[in-house]
Amino acid sequence: MSQTCSQCGAALTSDSPHGLCARCLLQAAAAISSSLTVEAPAPGASSQNQYAGSTPTAVDIGNLAEVARRLPQFEVIELVGRGGMGVVYKAKQVQLDRIVALKILPPGDALSPGFVERFRREARSLAKLCHPNIVSVYDFGESNGLYYFVMEFIDGVTLRELISAHDMTCGEALSVVPKICDALQFAHEEGVVHRDIKPENILIDKKGRVKIADFGLAKLLRREQLDLTLTQSGAMLGTPRYMAPEQLDKPDSVDHRADIYSLGVVFYEMLTGEIPMGRFQKPSEKVQIDVRLDEIVLHTLERDVARRYQHVSEVRDDVENVSRNITAAPKASHPAWQPPIAPAAVAAAGPPPVSGNSSAANVSNAGVTLALLATLAATWLCLYVFDLHVHFGDSILLIASHLLIPIGVAAAVAWMITPRRR
Amino acid sequence: MPSAPDPLSNPPGGAQCFEPTQWSIVLAAGKDQPDAREALQRLCTIYWYPLYAFVRRQRHNPQDAQDLTQEFFARLLEKQWLAGVDRSKGRFRSFLLAAMKHFLANEWDHARAQKRGGGKIPISLDTMTAESRYALEPAALDTPERVFERRWALTLLDQVLTRLRGEFAAAGKIHVFEELKSSLTGGSAPYSEIAAKLEMSEGAVKVAVHRLRARYRDLVRAEVAQTVDSDGEIEDELRSLMAAL
Repeated sequence: MSQTCSQCGAALTSDSPHGLCARCLLQAAAAISSSLTVEAPAPGASSQNQYAGSTPTAVDIGNLAEVARRLPQFEVIELVGRGGMGVVYKAKQVQLDRIVALKILPPGDALSPGFVERFRREARSLAKLCHPNIVSVYDFGESNGLYYFVMEFIDGVTLRELISAHDMTCGEALSVVPKICDALQFAHEEGVVHRDIKPENILIDKKGRVKIADFGLAKLLRREQLDLTLTQSGAMLGTPRYMAPEQLDKPDSVDHRADIYSLGVVFYEMLTGEIPMGRFQKPSEKVQIDVRLDEIVLHTLERDVARRYQHVSEVRDDVENVSRNITAAPKASHPAWQPPIAPAAVAAAGPPPVSGNSSAANVSNAGVTLALLATLAATWLCLYVFDLHVHFGDSILLIASHLLIPIGVAAAVAWMITPRRR
Repeated sequence: MPSAPDPLSNPPGGAQCFEPTQWSIVLAAGKDQPDAREALQRLCTIYWYPLYAFVRRQRHNPQDAQDLTQEFFARLLEKQWLAGVDRSKGRFRSFLLAAMKHFLANEWDHARAQKRGGGKIPISLDTMTAESRYALEPAALDTPERVFERRWALTLLDQVLTRLRGEFAAAGKIHVFEELKSSLTGGSAPYSEIAAKLEMSEGAVKVAVHRLRARYRDLVRAEVAQTVDSDGEIEDELRSLMAAL
């Protein structure tokens, strides 16, 4: 009788510890350390038998010189990102003389059974995803023990950086979400589920274009289970906060609707600055936004997949409907509402360093200006009513006392009543 | 009847649950101290089989392999024996393999083995089990070193799972462990099925799985910690073990 591990497909033998897959057991116990230094084959080993019988050497894929040595076909320029699913370098493809993003996968994953086949299969399916809102995969391969993707280089920021740098306005959120929807809808129609939608994987370039990265990597690297493990141990703040409930329970049976849930988490975070956890409040209970957005967000966050939006295009349609209506007739009951802003403005707010809190500051400045005007009018009215004949030549102090004090008070009141987040 | 701690009701254990690191005791005190000797003996008792498999893979016959392994441990646990061993590699696993290689290359004299051991059996090698286990080793393509590393990883996991099972058994919940253990590798039946079998709510099963995983992780890390010199090496050792499988 031959049994196999339902997770990695490895054969279970009579010496498998308590009948369980030893590799998956160890993987469940291991954490991806921040250094990403993992075991990889020695350079020069052939692709076919590089792991068999050779003594592995530790490769720090965060070490630029080391990566450059193993990937001589690229001019590796600088490290631009790192995470549980590898590191990303800005590099130049020497022969084509083009700047690319070089994603190096954690070498430890290449040791897992069936990895090479999965890598080729997934890479081919990702290479077919040509869409303006998806980071293009140009090429993939293995070089001296490192598995890599060559991707379109995006000169911009991640949505995470954007959210961290400043509170996003509702308008910004409403301009970003439909583009994410477009990308996801395209991928879903191609049969590809992202499985790891989170602000870190949503890029916004300097022209305000939204691009989703790392399609299918979670599946390729079988990261869902691992991330859950890591989060439970508190060892790493991981993606599970964005994962659909069914992705945690039965990661093997998720479909495109898991992406819709994750999109809902991202949407909620863009609107409120927080992640929906447990019994969370509706977005409009936390910030002043159109209540119709509550319905959309809550519909994406339905725990029951059958009650969730069934297609991400429906989310886009609903968001755009709300956007159009709000733009046409801003609601008096929602003073914080601002119409969706141009992508260029998102980009302008995006690239770090972003100083201050631009959206809140805009709102706050408007409030203060109004308050000042009102105070000026009120002051002159008071002067008139009480028949205080002010002569500018000799009554500067009187003016100051009548103007500056109310202005100060009004400004303080305006500051207190101006809607802000968090 | 004394009540054993319930592994499902305890919060995930921290490092404070575990005894001091055995290998660090040996390294710090030197094996002349009684507690260091005890620590070394405990480690050898757990990890003798990987060494036996290493010796067997070096084409020694079963009888010689048993004699060699016994003799090795006898000398290892004798006084002043550690002094000549290169301790630059800080992990017990590396140390043990290096020590055995050194022993086989320089120290071993089969004719004198019985005298040296003096009939004293420092640790109990279940030689019958050893051979039947060795018969299950994969085809002889692997080097002795790889056999040793692989066996080490499997021994460690087996040790941890046995301990975890023991904790459930002590709490009278061995059936819970048997139902939930597949969740450690992500391959369990649907929670609803498990819940029905165990007469628990689905939510309670989820919580139990969460706690089982957390406890398992703690035990693995604690077990690895026993064989390395510092906590900082645990991750590295885990990766080495993963690469060995």
